[in-house]
Amino acid sequence: MTTELAADRTLVRRTLAWLAGPVPVSIIVALAIGAVAIAIAGINPFVAYPSMVEGALTGRGPANTLQRATPIIGMAIALAIAFRAGVFNLGAEGQMVLGGLAGTLVALTMPGPGPVVIVVACLAAMAAGALWAMLAAVLQTSMGVPILISSLLLNYPARYFSSYLVRFPLKEKGSSMVATPMIPDDTRIPALIPADSAWGTALRHSLGKENALLLITRNVNYSLLVVLAVVALVIFVNRKTPGGFESGLAGQNLRFAQYGGVHTTALVIRTMIFSGAISGLVGVMLVLGSDFRLIDGALVGTNYAWTGLLVALLAANRPIGVLVSGAFFAALIVGGEAMQRSDGVSSQLSQVIQAAVIILIVVRLTLPRWLNLSRRHGRDLPAITDRVTADDEVGRV
Amino acid sequence: MTVQLELRGITKRFPGVLANDHIDLTVEKGEIHALMGENGAGKSTLMSILFGLYQPDEGEIRLAGVERHFASPRDAIAAGLGMVFQSFKLFPSLTVAENVVFGRETTRRGRFDRKGAEREVAAIAERYGLALDPAARVDDLPVGVLQRVEIIKALYRDASVLILDEPTAVLTPQEAERLFEILRALAADGRTIIFITHKLKEVMALSDRVTVLRDGRVADRMVTAQTDARAITRAMTGRDVVLQATAAAGEPGKTVLALHDVTVHAEDGRTAVGGGGVGGSGSGVSLEVRAGEIVGIAGVAGNGQTELVEAIAGLRPIESGTVRIGGRDVTRASVAERRRAGMAYIPEDRHAVGTAGTADTTDNLSLGHHRQPPLLRRGLLQRSAMTRRARELIERFQIKVPGPATRVGTLSGGNLQKVVVAREMSHDTPLLIAEQPTRGVDIGAIEFLHGEITAFRDWGGAVLLVSAELSEIMSLAGRILVMFEGAVVAEVPAAQANESTLGMLMAGASPDQARAAQPGELV
Ligand SMILES: Nc1ncnc2c1ncn2[C@@H]1O[C@H](COP(=O)(O)OP(=O)(O)OP(=O)(O)O)[C@@H](O)[C@H]1O
Ligand SMILES: [Mg+2]
Repeated sequence: MTTELAADRTLVRRTLAWLAGPVPVSIIVALAIGAVAIAIAGINPFVAYPSMVEGALTGRGPANTLQRATPIIGMAIALAIAFRAGVFNLGAEGQMVLGGLAGTLVALTMPGPGPVVIVVACLAAMAAGALWAMLAAVLQTSMGVPILISSLLLNYPARYFSSYLVRFPLKEKGSSMVATPMIPDDTRIPALIPADSAWGTALRHSLGKENALLLITRNVNYSLLVVLAVVALVIFVNRKTPGGFESGLAGQNLRFAQYGGVHTTALVIRTMIFSGAISGLVGVMLVLGSDFRLIDGALVGTNYAWTGLLVALLAANRPIGVLVSGAFFAALIVGGEAMQRSDGVSSQLSQVIQAAVIILIVVRLTLPRWLNLSRRHGRDLPAITDRVTADDEVGRV
Repeated sequence: MTVQLELRGITKRFPGVLANDHIDLTVEKGEIHALMGENGAGKSTLMSILFGLYQPDEGEIRLAGVERHFASPRDAIAAGLGMVFQSFKLFPSLTVAENVVFGRETTRRGRFDRKGAEREVAAIAERYGLALDPAARVDDLPVGVLQRVEIIKALYRDASVLILDEPTAVLTPQEAERLFEILRALAADGRTIIFITHKLKEVMALSDRVTVLRDGRVADRMVTAQTDARAITRAMTGRDVVLQATAAAGEPGKTVLALHDVTVHAEDGRTAVGGGGVGGSGSGVSLEVRAGEIVGIAGVAGNGQTELVEAIAGLRPIESGTVRIGGRDVTRASVAERRRAGMAYIPEDRHAVGTAGTADTTDNLSLGHHRQPPLLRRGLLQRSAMTRRARELIERFQIKVPGPATRVGTLSGGNLQKVVVAREMSHDTPLLIAEQPTRGVDIGAIEFLHGEITAFRDWGGAVLLVSAELSEIMSLAGRILVMFEGAVVAEVPAAQANESTLGMLMAGASPDQARAAQPGELV
């Protein structure tokens, strides 16, 4: 009883400490910077911000936000598992693009019942993403090219290869769009509760046409559940499996992991495979769930891979943190678009805010360390991750 | 005598720990002041506060009568302080010379004068009798050499108040003696020196006064000339600790570790093990460790011991020769295979290799044990079993840590060492490689760990012990191998070993010379 109370109290204390920590402070400062930018553009921030919040959280807002959050969280979790293991996968974009391509090919060509095709398309996409990621890993482990570089460079062949296919062999004849033909109706990932289903109409009658919940069930598709399942799986793997345990330690001190008997080469390859598979899955879900065809440059144009990277950073690679900050970034984007519609503020403002959040966090986390370094301290100084864990204890999974 | 330094009522709290509790400390000009206390007593914290690395929660610092606030080490350095850190503060990717001169680089025509710096550092190292290669990269060096770099760096700055936090933990007695001569000369020259060590002999030989900390408080202040080792020990621990020669081993059993003609390269491609040596025979190192015996390796840091041990452990490739553990050839095997073949390993570098500072105590104590029951069941980690086991080890090895969830990066040096030892000694493998196993632990803990190591031997374990501490090797090992320039140059039965003979052999004297100087049988 008393220990429970004490535990409660430390939880409260930790929460308060976290709120005073770098993440919330950075978000507030970033919003303030955004306000200044809005004011410079000649618009009253006290009008613009409320319309941003309104746009993200009312009416169609929650549905849009969840829709956007799905791929962002998916990419962020793909990156978070890699970063947590100390594997700097910067090739998530290419892995996503190839996943989208492989899935599209399956959906366009494979006969059979829709659900089966969807599943096979997803598996093909995961395989494509995983293989591409593995290539980057092998370049590091066998030839010494750092993954940071090999994975980043492999984005380009992936992008141009899929672009070539979409422009030439796969292009829908006679269409003005540079895109493949539409995939069959039954290979599209359905909404949580499709509008034309019995459930859908029943819900509309009981909730009303404008109800936020109704809009969510109609506009958000099963990809969201898949991504949530992936996040749950990652939490499980991190906490409960020896491999997840090892990759966490390898990310914190590679030499320690090696010394403890962890086969670090295998770990890097395995991590890249998982990371690439998730990226590929996100790619196919975007095609089968929202575009219904592969449009030239569309997957790259979403910038989800890079938004996901920021989210993973903000979340310090913790899965729950990825959910929260992924939703936050999605809301920023959706709200930014709403603000543009209602107040004429460029939606790029939300990108400015996103970037500012990250820069501020990085500055807050590294500045003290950097100052210390310049005072001639190197070895044994708490690493950046050190501080992140110290401040983010609450979000710890 | 004038008071040079005065700390008044210094208090520092960390989450769950009161590290310093209203500590007063006065040090006079020209004094060598020893600071003692058990692991976690608060010595390093107090010195870090003095050096501006931490800010005190309460209390004040006075230097030559003037109150000072050091917001950072930079301020402290500017005020004439210098510090040798227990956990070295060196840039791993820079060379020795660059680390030493960092912040005070000399330039030639506007550019960093690397050659000049290297010459200068070589000259200082020569003068102080601490062998160093100024052009070597710091992350390639064994801990004993890093310790020399850290000391030279502080001496280079010519501070008026010099703080040394366990500078002798990995120095050989000869090196320590040279350092003491330097310190005495500096003190005679009017410098003020604060010296932290767990070695009572050093305190008695070197210091003018002693301050003993216990649980963050001053337990006693003594004048060295008017006290003795026993009184200091009592003040630290509240009991008597006598390190004595341990019971002799029984007859050793079958061979557990066998090296045949092993050669190993250093990072820069030079031969680190084998090939050299006084004999210069060109052959590699061969040795055997049998069940129920402790074989000691003595040597000055940088003579190939670290490379040899890393090669046995699987962290460094073996160029030629074979290594067998429990009869299995593991020359090309991975670390995991070697561990499965029956190896446990306490590495000398607890920070860079032995732990992950940002991970919690439970995780640090679990690595290597996490793929077998009770930590793993039906393929899944048993988190509660991990925590329970961590609690047991913390209890058994008396590790001073707020709890299993505390990140080990916050532990005091000696307590971090105990984490490594606890993890490796709880493997119950037939072979234990122990490299500087008691580095930085207090005398009570040394007594305990020596007991554990001999108990392991009597249980039938084979131990390969590498230590800079000759008294440790002499009291634990049955046979002592001396390494010099990558070769085993002598084997001495422990019964016939003494510090001066070993010292000569370690410095490169041939067994004949050593025998001539010191009667005794050498192989
Ligand atoms: N940065 C920190 N965060 C939290 N606790 C800390 C931190 N630094 C030290 N402590 C705690 O303060 C206490 C004193 O540590 P300190 O390093 O001063 O001990 P010490 O006397 O130097 O011990 P040792 O002989 O083992 O080096 C320990 O219990 C340690 O866990
Ligand atoms: Mg200490």
